Amino acid sequence: MAESPLDVLLKGNSGRTTRGLLRIIILATIAAAAVSSRLFSVIRFESIIHEFDPWFNFRATKYLVQHGFESFWDWFDDRTWHPLGRVTGGTLYPGLMVTSGVIYHILRFLTIPVDIRNICVLLAPGFSGLTALAMYFLTCEMATSPSAGLLAAAFMGIVPGYISRSVAGSYDNEAIAIFLLVFTFFLWIKAVKNGSIMWGALAALFYGYMVSAWGGYVFITNLIPLHVFVLLCMGRYSSRIYISYTTWYALGTLASMQIPFVGFLPIRNSDHMSALGVFGLIQLVAFADFVRGFIPGKHFQRLLTTMIIVVFGVAFVGLVVLTVSGVIAPWSGRFYSLWDTGYAKIHIPIIASVSEHQPTAWPAFFFDLNFLIWLFPAGVYMCFRDLKDEHVFVIIYSVLASYFAGVMVRLMLTLTPIVCVAAALALSTILDTYVFATNGPNPRAKVNEDTSSEGLRSARKPDVGITSYLSKAVMTSSVVVYLLLFVAHCTWVTSNAYSSPSVVLASRMPDGSQHIIDDYREAYYWLRQNTAHNAKIMSWWDYGYQIGGMADRPTLVDNNTWNNTHIATVGKAMSSREEVSYPILRQHDVDYVLVVFGGLLGYSGDDINKFLWMVRIAEGIWPDEVKERDFFTARGEYRVDDEATPTMRNSLMYKMSYHNFNALFQPGQAVDRVRGSRLPAESPQLSTLEEAFTSENWIIRIYKVKDLDNLGRDHNTAVAFDKGNKRKRATKRKGPRVLRTE
Amino acid sequence: MKLFNLLVSILCIIPNAFCTVADSNKFERYRSLSRSAPIELTDSSYEEITSKPRDYHVAVLLTAADARYGCILCREFQPEWELIARSWNKGSKPDGLQMLFATLDFSDGKGTFQKLMLQTAPVLLVFPPTVGPFAKVDDTPLRFDFSGPISADQLYTWIKRHLPEGPKPPLVRPINYMRLVSVVTILMGAVTLFTVLSPYVLPIVRNRNMWAAFSLIAILLFTSGHMFNHIRKVPYVAGDGRGGISYFAGGFSNQFGMETQIVAAIYAVLSFATIALAMKVPRIADNKAQQVAVIIWGSVLLGMYSFLLNVFKTKNGGYPFFLPPF
Repeated sequence: MAESPLDVLLKGNSGRTTRGLLRIIILATIAAAAVSSRLFSVIRFESIIHEFDPWFNFRATKYLVQHGFESFWDWFDDRTWHPLGRVTGGTLYPGLMVTSGVIYHILRFLTIPVDIRNICVLLAPGFSGLTALAMYFLTCEMATSPSAGLLAAAFMGIVPGYISRSVAGSYDNEAIAIFLLVFTFFLWIKAVKNGSIMWGALAALFYGYMVSAWGGYVFITNLIPLHVFVLLCMGRYSSRIYISYTTWYALGTLASMQIPFVGFLPIRNSDHMSALGVFGLIQLVAFADFVRGFIPGKHFQRLLTTMIIVVFGVAFVGLVVLTVSGVIAPWSGRFYSLWDTGYAKIHIPIIASVSEHQPTAWPAFFFDLNFLIWLFPAGVYMCFRDLKDEHVFVIIYSVLASYFAGVMVRLMLTLTPIVCVAAALALSTILDTYVFATNGPNPRAKVNEDTSSEGLRSARKPDVGITSYLSKAVMTSSVVVYLLLFVAHCTWVTSNAYSSPSVVLASRMPDGSQHIIDDYREAYYWLRQNTAHNAKIMSWWDYGYQIGGMADRPTLVDNNTWNNTHIATVGKAMSSREEVSYPILRQHDVDYVLVVFGGLLGYSGDDINKFLWMVRIAEGIWPDEVKERDFFTARGEYRVDDEATPTMRNSLMYKMSYHNFNALFQPGQAVDRVRGSRLPAESPQLSTLEEAFTSENWIIRIYKVKDLDNLGRDHNTAVAFDKGNKRKRATKRKGPRVLRTE
Repeated sequence: MKLFNLLVSILCIIPNAFCTVADSNKFERYRSLSRSAPIELTDSSYEEITSKPRDYHVAVLLTAADARYGCILCREFQPEWELIARSWNKGSKPDGLQMLFATLDFSDGKGTFQKLMLQTAPVLLVFPPTVGPFAKVDDTPLRFDFSGPISADQLYTWIKRHLPEGPKPPLVRPINYMRLVSVVTILMGAVTLFTVLSPYVLPIVRNRNMWAAFSLIAILLFTSGHMFNHIRKVPYVAGDGRGGISYFAGGFSNQFGMETQIVAAIYAVLSFATIALAMKVPRIADNKAQQVAVIIWGSVLLGMYSFLLNVFKTKNGGYPFFLPPF
């Protein structure tokens, strides 16, 4: 065979450098693709923080940058949860804010003037590039073929399941947490493979970082012990596992306890008990292993049996006693709802009300993962071929994460990395088999030929490779088609589903041009410009962070939802009659009430649609005063039109939403476009509130709470007087008219 | 004549006297009917037990537990209701607080159901006393509508809330000794069986193919939305309104039981084709057979994937992508 110039490049020593260079270029390209596919929203709208939680993170970051780390740590925020306030420094995961703060200061140090907002907006895309890199490392540990790592990195870069949480502007904990998750797992696999303290300590370090960044760290806390436990059950105990696990557990637990929000949870909360239990177990196994070297077989067997029984008995009794006596906290609600899915619905309406805690229907899986979803089982199957320690990890992770993703939509995020790994393993096997140009078996694929009876049934015969060019052409071209389709799908999903800031809405005009609906910011800026700096705004908790971030006004409740009673108070005020609500508003110093109303535009995420949750949450605290049943008609329908129940029509929320709404229409023609129903001809009358502001498309309506009447009348009579109505007393007297004869 | 008058007046008094005596004993009489379980009522006894004056609370569950009415909620709730009644009747109550638990089944009390204009069952009515220390001025019964499956604890909290202040007997769920014993027996049996059979069982437990099959089935179940079915209790299939069956639910976040099974099967076929192409085909020694296998599996892959995209397109109207065959 004549040496072509290509062979010179690809063979021998220079071949290795060429391949290394190519790999770096490919990875850089993947990172660039990952970053750029997340910029849709910035290009279409502007560099803006999205949704709800990011606004709080943004506000906290600004506080950190302004006041420094020390005061951030001790931050008591009196502008939320009025009048309670919130110990913000001790009740958040600071990883995200600190990361952007550090980046900000580094850029400042390099004399690059950049706004903190732009750092926050672009943090998630930036970290997605790093995630792709971490994915490459992780997958390379799993596969002999180098193409698997590159494929996994490419998948991870553009898969919608990850993009959904990391587009530009979605400045949330997950933005950096997924990178940390993948990288911690990579370090852990490295530690298990090498049995080295260094890798174990690095894994612990990144685990600590992860704990500081996201509550989902519990997933790592349970997955790594499970991996070790399964390895022990498979009889694969080795000093490598002992070294890596003990290092990781000891250092990682200490690191995680440095976060004030986590504190002593790692040794008290049941979520973390499996890690502690496996830590104890591995000590015992190590001890048994050590003793075995000194004692003859038969004695050892007996010793082992007694030891196992005694230890399990003591541990079980201890666990029961500690749980009953309350030293160990019970399972936290959010985590518990993963196991018993009916639990949240009954006991914690606030969890059930969050759409992120809903189960996942199958289209969501396909939407977020496309063809990876069917490559995924194939990849897991291939892990059974070699079944080394790291493959066991992939299998456990896959099964567990599939379950969690099925139970809760938002946990799709934790499933995505392992799907990318497994799918890359499967696809790279196919590519290595079919793309290889010469005939005969692929020399690189033949590393682990295991023909023993223990292997998989499909891998028993020797590999002879693909012989015909037609087969190769068919498979290669179809795989290329699937890959192209995948890219198209990801781009389409990202651009259509995940790139809307939800603060700014976009709609199409009849002629196809884009029309921006900017009601939220309009209203928040109105608050910022026209109200006193300390005016308290009451709204449903969804908008608390946005009001704090954009309008800079104190709120009663926000998305932190730490105090259910306080939220229920707001729910009660919204769902009661004015006579009941007004004292509540006065007691909480409320100056303005903000409601979101989509009836004019057909915006379905408005407060009337969320109203039942307010009612339910309020009913949880005041079952006698607020009843969900009263908001349904006799036939069990939730209506807003003429047939709405009196409770519904007298509730503050209903009145605020539809106040003066029919003035926009011909008499009797007012239509709510969300509910698709015709409204009563008369507008609801408000006496204790007055309309202060309504945004362009009526999405946000703000009402001012009236002060007490100057003449000491109640508001009803005052309003009636202003309207020129006669006093009520005159009309009230009913009975037969009597002719007065005097 | 006078004698006659006297006789008449005596005759008139007797039933009256008898009635008042019976009234003060009404509680004891009904109480003695059933010491722990709820009292079974009929139309007439319902009238009597709820008639004024009454010096006790009475909670009546209007239900339709008979199988022919097909009220699953009623049947499911029946043991819970008995649990509440038993806990109350056996527990220690504050002095003077008298309460009766009763059940009126639709088959015994059609008249009452009509009179109350009840369209649904079960319904719980709690009548406050009209005389005695806990009497309420407003003697209209409190009504509890069942909006879905409910546990005894929830209903009992509701009842307790509407009773006067004071300690109430706690809800006691009897320990199911039968179940405890059977669990222990089964557990011990399993351990024994495992010890005896371990030479035969261990190879199976250690069999890689079996574990692979387990993991794959679990993954396929979960990723095809099985947990959604489990939590939301979706129907298995539904009619399409024209007498046929619609296998696929409309809408992106909706699905039927059968639909998920179809999807799981599609995923399984696709995965299996991938595995075959990646692992089995390169091990076929014969050139011709290999060629044919590649083409068969390749077209299965293409056809199935195209079908999957087609199904997805029906769920998600605006989806623009497709593959040729479908």
